[in-house]
Amino acid sequence: MRAIFRLASAGLVRAPGRTVLRVGVLALATALLGAMLLFVGNSLRTMTGAAIRSVPLDWQGPVGSRAQAVRLATATRAQPGVLRADPAATAPFVAAGHVASTGSIRTGAGSVLAVPMTSVDTFRLLHGTLRAGQVVLDQQLAATLQARISDTITLSPRTGAVPHRYRVSGVALVTAPDVLFQPLNPQLGPVPAQPPAQIAIMPLATFSTTYAPSLQTITPLTVGSSVVPGAQDGVQWQVQAQVDPAGLGSSPGQALAHAGQVRNRVERTLTGQVQFVDNLAESLSAAAGDALYAQTLYIMLAIPGALIALGLAYLAALGAADRDRRDLALLRTRGATRRTLVGLAVVESSALAIVAGVLGAVLAFAATSLLVSGGVGLTAGRAAVTAAVCVGLAFAGAVAARVAASARVFAGSVDEARRGGTRTRTPLWQRLYLDVAALVASGLIAWLTARTGFSAVVNPDSNPTLSLSVYMFFGPALLWIGATLLLVRLRGRAVAWLARRGAGNRPTTARGLLLASVSRRGPSINRGLVLVGLLLAFGVNLGIFSATYDQQARVDAQLTLGADVVATAPPGVVTAKNLAQRVAVEPGVRAVSAVDHSYAYVGPDLQDTYGVDATSIGQATKLRDSYFVGGTAAQMLDRLRSTPDGILVSRETITDYSLARGDLLRLRVLDRSTGRFTVVPFHVVGTVQEFPSAPKDSFMVANLAYLQHASRDAGPNVVFARTDGDPVAVARRIAADTRADGTTVRDIRQQTQQTVSSITTVDLTGIAKIESTFAVLLAAGAMALFVGLALSERRRELATMAAVGASLRHIAAFVWSEAAVVLGVALVLAAGLGWLLATMLVAMLQHVFDPPPDALAIPWSSLAILAAAAVGATIVATAVAIRRIRRLPLGAILRER
Amino acid sequence: MNLIADPHRERPTQSPAPIAACVGLTVAFGSRDALVIALDDVDVSFRDGETVALWGPSGSGKTTLLHAFGGLVEPTGGVVFWRGAPLSSLDAAARARVRTRGIAYIFQGANLLPAFTAYENVAFAAVCAGDRPADVELLALELLALVGLDRKADHLPSELSGGEAQRVAIARALAQRPRLLLCDEPTGHLDTDTTARMLEMIDALQRRLGFTLVVATHDADLAAGLGRAVELRDGRVVGHGR
Repeated sequence: MRAIFRLASAGLVRAPGRTVLRVGVLALATALLGAMLLFVGNSLRTMTGAAIRSVPLDWQGPVGSRAQAVRLATATRAQPGVLRADPAATAPFVAAGHVASTGSIRTGAGSVLAVPMTSVDTFRLLHGTLRAGQVVLDQQLAATLQARISDTITLSPRTGAVPHRYRVSGVALVTAPDVLFQPLNPQLGPVPAQPPAQIAIMPLATFSTTYAPSLQTITPLTVGSSVVPGAQDGVQWQVQAQVDPAGLGSSPGQALAHAGQVRNRVERTLTGQVQFVDNLAESLSAAAGDALYAQTLYIMLAIPGALIALGLAYLAALGAADRDRRDLALLRTRGATRRTLVGLAVVESSALAIVAGVLGAVLAFAATSLLVSGGVGLTAGRAAVTAAVCVGLAFAGAVAARVAASARVFAGSVDEARRGGTRTRTPLWQRLYLDVAALVASGLIAWLTARTGFSAVVNPDSNPTLSLSVYMFFGPALLWIGATLLLVRLRGRAVAWLARRGAGNRPTTARGLLLASVSRRGPSINRGLVLVGLLLAFGVNLGIFSATYDQQARVDAQLTLGADVVATAPPGVVTAKNLAQRVAVEPGVRAVSAVDHSYAYVGPDLQDTYGVDATSIGQATKLRDSYFVGGTAAQMLDRLRSTPDGILVSRETITDYSLARGDLLRLRVLDRSTGRFTVVPFHVVGTVQEFPSAPKDSFMVANLAYLQHASRDAGPNVVFARTDGDPVAVARRIAADTRADGTTVRDIRQQTQQTVSSITTVDLTGIAKIESTFAVLLAAGAMALFVGLALSERRRELATMAAVGASLRHIAAFVWSEAAVVLGVALVLAAGLGWLLATMLVAMLQHVFDPPPDALAIPWSSLAILAAAAVGATIVATAVAIRRIRRLPLGAILRER
Repeated sequence: MNLIADPHRERPTQSPAPIAACVGLTVAFGSRDALVIALDDVDVSFRDGETVALWGPSGSGKTTLLHAFGGLVEPTGGVVFWRGAPLSSLDAAARARVRTRGIAYIFQGANLLPAFTAYENVAFAAVCAGDRPADVELLALELLALVGLDRKADHLPSELSGGEAQRVAIARALAQRPRLLLCDEPTGHLDTDTTARMLEMIDALQRRLGFTLVVATHDADLAAGLGRAVELRDGRVVGHGR
């Protein structure tokens, strides 16, 4: 064993350049994987944290009395995994009153929240404090009653009951009242309800002695009667509990499972006494769906790059393959068994892996801290895990590369190993045509996806969730595998064939001889071509998909808001104050269009209705062809323009009411002058599925003038503006100039940050930056490695050329011409394959995009950087190679046997 | 058309002035701790048109001396002269020019370029020597015919036997129209019959084309059959003979 260690270390030290190269390549490949690991881990932690933080109250367990609430809260608090548990209660009031300096003020119904003196998590005190015997008013109730601290107010628990008098001890803001006052039915789970308009908060003891006796108690047995939001008619005693987030785990899925286990344990311990409405599980479940989606995207985008990066390790190992083969063959001749040789490979790979893995981990830390805003929450533990994973991957990569590069020595006889004969038997996968099968299967899946619309499905309502089918992922995965195997099978035959055609039968010029050489070095050129081409394809795929993703995120935001800048005004203001014209003349505004947002009945359904100016709406906001069915955006606007009573209706309405183009559609439209709905005839001119600022479900779009005439409206209430400058600055100027008219102005930047839909819940920016950077580095490294390997493999050949009298220019041409061929073909391959992969991914995830993209976004600048990196690396590597050729020790090389 | 005979080339005069010579030539390899002195203060000269055998056992410095005359190794000391001018003072490009039309090699293992056919190996040397494209094909085929391999012009080195490869190497060397042909154990890998035929061929070509032929060999009989012998041992010249 000691001899193996000595041999391995001697082999690594004897060729320091090659060792450094192998370490460098492995480090870069593992750095990409390490960075991905850190990023994905951090994303999942962020999602988990956000999901937990978004829940104001994890569990609410309805119980029958205050005594039960106190006892069960104490028992719950004692359970492991529970951070805190408190007794609480909610109850309705029918009226609140206050005698203010301006007179007696009364409000309508509201709710009372009763909590222990120490529990203030569910509301935020703005002034004062919670005191025994007194109440804290929610700021809206305080404002309505014009009540201040020390004033006395009254709360009437039910109609006809004597109002209770309380002194005000503070003003608060109740966070998440929709959850706090939801009807509690553990069988139904969370049902966030319309929150009460007025809320008063009082200490639990005060509540139980003064207020609760006036109302009946809702027991768990009668809970069914109170599940209707807003229908609470008694006191709802409950146990409110928070789960300890520290023990939940890092991913939403883990957290969901763990939180469920904690709740089950508590409920099992307190069997029959309490069951909880689990708000936390609801939130974590949605986050787990998003996490699945995120992980899927990350895997689809990142894994191919990482695998190809490990392929570079094979290329680096090939640089030393001949020497290794000779050494290993010599060892076998001297009696070393295959087991010994494998042991040698393992020891050598371990040494490389430790150095490369640690270096890769350091690179991963540096990349994530530089490229991911806010970092990835690196701790000593996570750093250690990442480093261990990187070392493990580097080891696997080093062993695989070493064994693949020296396979003949390991597999064949001693004599075969010494001769280093070429492989004669075609690999099994080639005989079975697995590459062709993979490509055909990939094409079939893509065709099915396009034909049937079978793709990832997002539930657009409430929290986004994703239905993923495993078959869907086979499309791009098989395309990667098939393309790689096909390239390996072709062994550069196409390039060789073209070169042979260029060289002719009997070349008589330097150029012809160069082409003749290229035509016979297909397999060697192909090695570089496969890796450089696939790495560049990885970069192109990533760039196009990320750009399309970003584009759709902006489109999503614009679709939600309506335009770059949107000014909403009170009724009549747009026309009376010439708002559209005033907005149009603001600096940075390119086009404006006024829109009237109102409602109309289609049969019994009340639908949002948009009155638009078909001439100007297309300039003021982006109308994509994918918003419409059966025609382009321009065609639909043409139809509206040419049909004054034309109307575009949603696909649901078309289906539900069996409508077709040209059909008469009678709507009940609100007549603003009489306040009554009147029947107005429209004619269907097309189907619309998305429209700026419209909801996702049913809506209609009609001509503004016709709608306005029918409804006798005072004019549009919204102005859309397209900007050619900074939308934030434009919005600020418009807001300043129109504030006096009561307008509300929003811009697309605000909206992008607020839009919470399937597409923006997963932030691709960080991982796209990391992977783009590595794609650029790896593509550049692959080109440099190819040139270095070519020089290493052909040094004896090049020395012979020098001895024959070839000039440096002639010799160098043999190096740079192959590099140029690899680069050129790789760029073409990358453009085609990268585009195809991105198309497939976007088609597969088309339902995730809302709306689906009209076309792929091509990020020319980042693609140019990628290509420039490959070209630059080729130029630098070739220049270095030529410098090395000039200094080749010709005598020593020519003496080598 | 005879492209092998260079009309611009001076005919050998058998003049006493050497075409190539070295004075006090020393070549050392390795670092101070493991210094190998391959040549130690060697004085040798070759006259135009003569045939010389560099004879000595393995490791005596024969190959290094050939490499020094071809400008493939840098002398540690002393000077190598080519047609009266110090070769070692030339830069790499100038040395390459000398090799292109002055000094050619035949290696022990042929050293054919593996990605080229027999024809292309020869054509490559002709292109490097600056022959016009119109002449390259004729010249290469004529040379291959001269060594009896015109029928195997389109074969790759891997498809040739050892003797055939060596004959292609001879044709390639001749494509450079050399004044000095340096042969390093040219028959070292060949059987007895092939060796005899090879030597006859080289001898015939030398008489026909008149280049200076220097053959490094450890074979005493072979050395004895050549015009003049220079015996090397441990990097030193230990004897001259006819």
